[in-house]
Amino acid sequence: MSSFRRWTATHSWIWSFLGAGALMIVMLPFLRGQGIEQVGQVAIQFATFYVMVGLGQMLVIALGSGNIDLSVPGTITLAGFVGLSVSSGATGTLGACGAAVAIGIGAGIGNAVLIQVLQIPPMIATLSSGFVLQSLAIAFSRGASAVPSPLLQAISVHRFAGVPDLAIILILASLTVGLVLRQTRFGRTVLASGQSIRAARLTGLSVNSTIAIVYILSGIFAALTGLFLAASVGGASLDMGQEYLLFSIAVVVLGGTAISGGEASPTGVWGAALLLVLSVTLLNILGVGAGVRFLATGIIIVGVLGVTKPRED
Amino acid sequence: MKQIKFASASALALLMALGCHAAKADDASALKDTSKSGIALSNSYAGNTWRQQMLRVWQAAAQQAIDGHIIAKTKIVNADASAPQQASQIENLILEGWNSIVLDAASPTALNGSIEDACKQGITVVVFDSLATAPCAYKVAYDYVEAGRIPARFIVQQLHGKGNVLVVRGMPGTQVDVDEFQGAQEVFKENPGIKVVGTVNGQWTESVANKEVAGILPSLPKVDAVIGQGGDSVGTYQAFKAAGRPIPLITLGTRQEELALWEKLDKATPGGYATEASSSVPGVSSIAFWVAQQIVAGRKVPNVVKVSLLQISKADLATWLKVTPVGAVASPVYSKEWTIDLLKSIAANTAPPPSPGPTQNK
Repeated sequence: MSSFRRWTATHSWIWSFLGAGALMIVMLPFLRGQGIEQVGQVAIQFATFYVMVGLGQMLVIALGSGNIDLSVPGTITLAGFVGLSVSSGATGTLGACGAAVAIGIGAGIGNAVLIQVLQIPPMIATLSSGFVLQSLAIAFSRGASAVPSPLLQAISVHRFAGVPDLAIILILASLTVGLVLRQTRFGRTVLASGQSIRAARLTGLSVNSTIAIVYILSGIFAALTGLFLAASVGGASLDMGQEYLLFSIAVVVLGGTAISGGEASPTGVWGAALLLVLSVTLLNILGVGAGVRFLATGIIIVGVLGVTKPRED
Repeated sequence: MKQIKFASASALALLMALGCHAAKADDASALKDTSKSGIALSNSYAGNTWRQQMLRVWQAAAQQAIDGHIIAKTKIVNADASAPQQASQIENLILEGWNSIVLDAASPTALNGSIEDACKQGITVVVFDSLATAPCAYKVAYDYVEAGRIPARFIVQQLHGKGNVLVVRGMPGTQVDVDEFQGAQEVFKENPGIKVVGTVNGQWTESVANKEVAGILPSLPKVDAVIGQGGDSVGTYQAFKAAGRPIPLITLGTRQEELALWEKLDKATPGGYATEASSSVPGVSSIAFWVAQQIVAGRKVPNVVKVSLLQISKADLATWLKVTPVGAVASPVYSKEWTIDLLKSIAANTAPPPSPGPTQNK
């Protein structure tokens, strides 16, 4: 039993997957015929967007020292609007991706400057830059959204053997991020900063440039999320980023990444994203009212967090 | 006897004179000149398409009034969905000396203090869209319960009273959602052959509706109709399509993407695609503007001015699509004359004027 405990302590992402699995089992009696396969498909389709933004947020949180990216909703919205209108222009889909990445880089640099140069605490710095990005989105769009180019929309919704293309790309990306964290100097600097930033600096690791790069990466992930989310729905809207503020943090923490930093689990982000999407689905299937739904979602999150304990000291 | 006759005759004459005067007060020529007045707009939230359009319509109506020397100036102040912020903005407007403050309220009750302050200063307060409960404020109100009944009735009629219905609601906790749901429930309860097989919250946002409907679909039997609250029908359609299910009757709002969907489905379905599109519109800010101007001019206006929803039929669909830009909400801009007709019809208890046709939206 103790070796099980030891294994789960260092592989805390397992709880979110177990939770997701449990939810699917609970759902079984309510589904008809092909139901479970479809539920799985839908869950992956929508979990993909949570994972996309969650990977970036995970890297930021892993830095520790209160680092967090609250500008995610603004980046998502701005990238959605700008990306879509570029996609129907001369540069097409490639230009749209480029524009989104540029916005992500810009947002990341802005955050890095606020946090490292002006020494503003990350929570406040990213919240403010988020407001600026959201205002830029409002000004750029005046509320009206362009329509994605057919190619861009097709990419966003296309499935390969029932699995969305985006999900496949994202699984590869998660594996890459996991490898980077474990095997590259950059990745190990991220984790080292999270565990003890002073020690990391004293060891001679380039902590400051690492922090800046992480915020830029988070911006890029969020911007691409905004682009593909808007393309898959057929248009951007000014409140499309709203739910991602809390959910981007929830998938990271539920997935086993410590909020204090130093630990990161891309696998856990997937498990948590599936768990969250499935819990909403289950509550809808049960026909639960909105008030009870919020309560139940909260209980599920607290429950999983209570069981998920990252590395014990 | 003679004195009584004389007294009653003079009383009658006096009453007739007063009656004529009262009738005259309704005459436009007896209204005050408002060309030196200012009407300000305090908006609780500017962060979505509907609100952005509402602001544009206000600006257009106010500019037209300024150019025609009907009023002198206008101003728009936006809060960030925060009631305390909007309350302090209202207090500022009171100090700046506006004749009328029109508001889209952040909260039904939290602004009542500032509204009462304004009324005490003799400022005309008109609330529209998101209403406040302050008694001294005039209210330009949509009947959202009726807004829920209209698509429900259409569904019952189309399904001949029998079928499975999926309900897509709006933002939980808002009065609009509660009222629309109530209206739809009323109609469905009267028709026991209609079975509500599921309820989800689409939050008037296509992407959220898509996710919620896609999530519940695997557990549902055949769905004959989907009733939405507007801004959610394209997401619903996409969910059905992705699940490989036949497309049911989906009721629409009046956003451009929903009208475009109707046109697409109509062409693709043999025999045409029957549905109905109805919604409150951002153009309501122009009604509120002219109601405020008329009150400042001295017209007697009831405390609640009821406005009917915009309903688009298949016959008007093409025209509306032409004038509504992508991403916008189809909305007429209401003129001063139309608003006066509306106020007159309310006073005379007659039918309101028909909704104005499509106008070019900028």
